[in-house]
Amino acid sequence: MSQSVISAKSVYKIFKLGEERVIALNGVSLEIGAGEFVAIVGTSGSGKSTLLNMLAGLDRPTKGEIVIAGKHIEKLSEGELVRFRRENVGFIFQAYDLLSQLDAIENVALPLSFKGVSRPVRTRAAIELLKKMGLEKYMKHKPTEMSGGQQQRVGIARALVVKPKIIFADEPTGNLDTKTTIEVLHILQDVVHNEGNTLVMVTHDKHLASYADRRVHILDGEIVLED
Amino acid sequence: MRFSDKLLMACSSLLKRKLRTILTILGVMIGVASIVIMMALAEGLNRESMEMIEKYGGLRTVSVTEGNGSQTMDIEGGAVAVSSTDPTDSKLSDSTIDKISNIAHVESVYPVLQFQAVLISGAYHMSLYSGKAMPIEVLRDMNWGFAEGEWPQKGDELQFVFGNMVLEDFLDSRDQNVYWETGKLPNVDLMNSTIFTIFDVDAYNAQQAGRSQTQNMGNAQEGGDTSANSGETSAPVIPKKYMIKTAGVLEGGLDDYNEYSWDTYCDIEALEKLYKKIFKNKVIPGQPAKKNGKPYNELFYSSLNVIVDDVENVAEVQQAIGDLGYQTSSNSEWIEQTKQQTQSIRAMLGGIGAVSLLVAAIGIANTMMMSIFERTKEIGIMKVIGCGLRDIQQMFLIEAGIIGAFGGITGLILSFVVCIIINKITGADTSVIPFWMYPSAVIFAIIVSMAAGFAPSRRAMSLSALEAIRNN
Repeated sequence: MSQSVISAKSVYKIFKLGEERVIALNGVSLEIGAGEFVAIVGTSGSGKSTLLNMLAGLDRPTKGEIVIAGKHIEKLSEGELVRFRRENVGFIFQAYDLLSQLDAIENVALPLSFKGVSRPVRTRAAIELLKKMGLEKYMKHKPTEMSGGQQQRVGIARALVVKPKIIFADEPTGNLDTKTTIEVLHILQDVVHNEGNTLVMVTHDKHLASYADRRVHILDGEIVLED
Repeated sequence: MRFSDKLLMACSSLLKRKLRTILTILGVMIGVASIVIMMALAEGLNRESMEMIEKYGGLRTVSVTEGNGSQTMDIEGGAVAVSSTDPTDSKLSDSTIDKISNIAHVESVYPVLQFQAVLISGAYHMSLYSGKAMPIEVLRDMNWGFAEGEWPQKGDELQFVFGNMVLEDFLDSRDQNVYWETGKLPNVDLMNSTIFTIFDVDAYNAQQAGRSQTQNMGNAQEGGDTSANSGETSAPVIPKKYMIKTAGVLEGGLDDYNEYSWDTYCDIEALEKLYKKIFKNKVIPGQPAKKNGKPYNELFYSSLNVIVDDVENVAEVQQAIGDLGYQTSSNSEWIEQTKQQTQSIRAMLGGIGAVSLLVAAIGIANTMMMSIFERTKEIGIMKVIGCGLRDIQQMFLIEAGIIGAFGGITGLILSFVVCIIINKITGADTSVIPFWMYPSAVIFAIIVSMAAGFAPSRRAMSLSALEAIRNN
């Protein structure tokens, strides 16, 4: 394993539901190296999504420390977290979550526009990535005019466009059929192995997890197995 | 994030929900239109009253009359009673004009001399108590319309210009009837009939008094004795008659009252020249006399009209002239009062209009709120993939601003059309949109809209990204 990009040390996350305290993460420690494809596997309610949110800087832990790309993110304010994500992190969602009023190019270019990149530059970058994803014919299509697999490929392109240090994928194939699922996973593998990105994927499906280089099994907020 | 990108995002999300956007804009449009129309009505009212003041002698005119230092003349009889020690001090002469001309903000000063005369035409006669002699160029500048004739030229010998209702003042010498009692118009053609004018009113009155005396005493001797008097009393002076031409009659019917209707006008220079000829070493009627009964060399004016450069300076100039010891009057108090009145009317009407803009603002807030609930997920995604919090807030504020701008512009167009219709119906300038209203209405609409959009935009900003992407 090369130098670690993500390092979590005894991370706790406790939610309060009325009077009850729900322990979502119970002292999780985890190291993820650069260029790794890691799958976080667990059943619904196991705390895997909570862990992903912590690692991605979407949420702050109740206790413990998380260092991503050399930065302690448990101490950042919300505004700083946004900036951190903008610079370092790409996201792939289960429901693709493209903006319906924008076409494929605009959706891919969106994160760059948040960075203040000019329109011609970001459009060029978006077109390049969409070509790589095999979507030459769908550049000007709105999300509603594309299939699930196509939409997810746009989603992947959007995550890649900012050249992030780490990509997070939350059940990226959850809404896709088997054939497309395999297609998408191959793309993800390709992204990691050929482009040298770090990818953290959350899934409940052990078979899908087998595509990753390493699997972290989580149950009731604790890591139970790594293989 | 660049401003142009935020603008584009805002536009695209507005376009995504066209109907709702249009309805919200409609609300702002009506709000803006109601304020603008109300303000236009207030402005129309304001202009109307200002025009009325203008009609009654101008907004920038200060009328100066002689000070309290001396007794004023008795207008009725034309008799002059001067009792003060140095009566010329507070009187209005050419040197007074020079003095007043030197006061700051005074644009011009011109004299008015009120004169008396008796006009006789055939069996009719009229006592002219206060004919107005002014510089002919000032009279010309009044731009009054003429029914017949026109102003005499400068340097012409004395000619009269009559108001449109002067004819009604002629008295029938045979039965002492006047128009307003009998409704019978005197058989005098002001332009073409021969009209004799007597300037020595005192002598005329004395003569008349003498005649009625003799008539009473002699028990009506056929009444045919029209030539001079019968030499009864101590031989009163027979006043001289002059044939003064009529230069013109001013526009207007016999019932159209306006500021000049009852007046007779003439050039002050021509009158002065004639006066000097008629009353060589005697006191001119209406003018003061020295203690020894001799006349002064110069002519004193009845009043001076001072034109001030700006309405705002009228009060100041009035004060300065008052300090010189003259009496002044102007419409400034009236103007002030009218201003205050229109101010409160404007506030009231504007308030009524503002209510509907307030309703529109609530509509905007509501629309934005709805839109945020609808787009919770979208906002969440944007936050997750790195959209700055300020950028999100600004996008929503821009959306509100665009609604305001479109509402403001369409509202202006609507009120413009409505004002034209109102003016068509009333046939006058009842509603006037002041020109400053155009930019300020749009800016105001934008500000109100953005204020209404502020709370929703804060809410969008503080939405938890996590919560947002979780609600699948």
